Amino acid sequence: MNVGFIGLGLMGRPMALHLEQAGHTLHLWARRPESLAPFAAVNAKTHASPAAVAAHAEVVITLVADAPDVDAVCLGENGLAAGAKPGLIVVDMSTINPNAARNIGEKLAALGIAFVDAPVSGGEIGAINATLTIMVGGTPAAFETVKPLLEKMGKSVTLIGESGAGQVAKACNQILTGVGTLAVAEALNFAAKSGVDPAKVREALLGGFAYSKILENHGQRMLDRNFKPGFKAWMHQKDLRIVMEEAHRLGLMLPSAAATAQVFNAMVGSGLGEQDSISALMLLEKMSTPEA
Amino acid sequence: MHIGFIGFGTMGKPMATHLLRAGHTLHVWSRRVSSVDFLLQQGAIWCASPAEVARASEIVCTNVTGSSDVEELAEQLATGFVRGGIHVDFSTIAPSVARSIAAMYAPHGIEFVDAPVSGGGAGARDATLAIMWGGKTALTPRLAPLFSVLGKTVVQVGDVGAGQVAKACNQMVMVAAIQACAEAAQLAQAAGVSFAIVQQALLGGSAASRVLEVFGGRMANRNFSAGVEARLHHKDYALLMESAHRLGVPLPVSSVVWQQLNALMAQGMGREDTSSLLRVLENKFNQGE
Repeated sequence: MNVGFIGLGLMGRPMALHLEQAGHTLHLWARRPESLAPFAAVNAKTHASPAAVAAHAEVVITLVADAPDVDAVCLGENGLAAGAKPGLIVVDMSTINPNAARNIGEKLAALGIAFVDAPVSGGEIGAINATLTIMVGGTPAAFETVKPLLEKMGKSVTLIGESGAGQVAKACNQILTGVGTLAVAEALNFAAKSGVDPAKVREALLGGFAYSKILENHGQRMLDRNFKPGFKAWMHQKDLRIVMEEAHRLGLMLPSAAATAQVFNAMVGSGLGEQDSISALMLLEKMSTPEA
Repeated sequence: MHIGFIGFGTMGKPMATHLLRAGHTLHVWSRRVSSVDFLLQQGAIWCASPAEVARASEIVCTNVTGSSDVEELAEQLATGFVRGGIHVDFSTIAPSVARSIAAMYAPHGIEFVDAPVSGGGAGARDATLAIMWGGKTALTPRLAPLFSVLGKTVVQVGDVGAGQVAKACNQMVMVAAIQACAEAAQLAQAAGVSFAIVQQALLGGSAASRVLEVFGGRMANRNFSAGVEARLHHKDYALLMESAHRLGVPLPVSSVVWQQLNALMAQGMGREDTSSLLRVLENKFNQGE
């Protein structure tokens, strides 16, 4: 199949390469030409604009930073809509506001283009190992068409519901991972400041009801003091903003997510934004240590 | 002075009346002419459009709801203003929007002043508002005759947008205090003590505050009619939490207060007074729902 791919960053690069290895022809466009370098030796054609990518593809995948970027790539000047052949399906794997996804989906539908929101969880490692969790919103027909592609990038591919539903599931994911990461950081810091070995505490808790993947994986990285991203704190901060915007719009009370979002604000404000989101631990340590 | 006025809600109505009574010539426009009948009867002059208001006035005051309302009005006012005109906006909007409106006006020689107020309907009626404004210092002599008629405390906080930053701080301090009053009332009631009496006792001590007096009073009297409509505070929290996100500033207490306001909205009390934060606590924890 001719597959367009726009957004060749940390996640996008390995994801696109999985599709190429599965025998698909890639059609690429990138804001920065150097992003295209890893594709010089594979079956990939580069184009001058998203419109040109759309003109050559049956499915185009986008994976960019935020809603305005998705909007610009889809509906902006020389965007996908400007070059789309009839029946094009756009699969947006970015994490954006569910309501924004619905709006973009409606605008594209009016132009005869199907839009599927398919945000992912699993980080860079999940992208490299093709073990991502992919949460999909869109029509069943569009889902069936793109499902074989998504299965080359992820281990778990689930149609959640209509347009926007994938982003709602991702927002739920970010509530759990954001609050969970902070909870693990708080627990390990609590143990350490109480004079107890946090590694032993983690080991003990893994056998009980507090077991979680976050305690297992992120907890270990906290103990190893390996704060390299992974998933950058500023991105988690952005995702929690999306959650809190929707909570405001819908009149929902999310006290834990709200408090967690404030800790992520503090991380970005104190220069930890480019570190992994587990560096919440460093912030807690700093907050609970006397000034030197 | 020829002054334009647009926006006749709880705040705008008495503010416009003060300007008229102080001897200024008032040029007004409204989507519904009926909402300004009371001013026309007192000698205000009707204009067919915002642009016409701007054409007739040295200073145009606006007092509307959200950032987008002010932006829309500014675009229309820009077509009417002569060079040197001033747009004074009393609404509560995002500081960044205030700055972008000022930038839009600048090439046309039009000044923008953000002048949000605190003090509510009563402050507007009694002309005792706190006015916190941002704009060029050189405008002070032209603004003074206007502000002195409307408010008691007038402070230039800084350049354009600075008034809105101060207003965001005002909302944080005030609504957090309202939530604290609600929690105190809830605790007193649950312990079988009258909050009205507790409130009287506290007003003499270190916890005395204007919020405890006014909003605590409404809670004690169970008078939840606005006042300040809670939906407006809810709107302001979206603005200030967005600023906190953008600036990387943690606001732990404000974030919790925000969630209580979200619950208040969900329970359908948005058009009632913010002292209804007490009822958010009662609804969930007193009636055994």
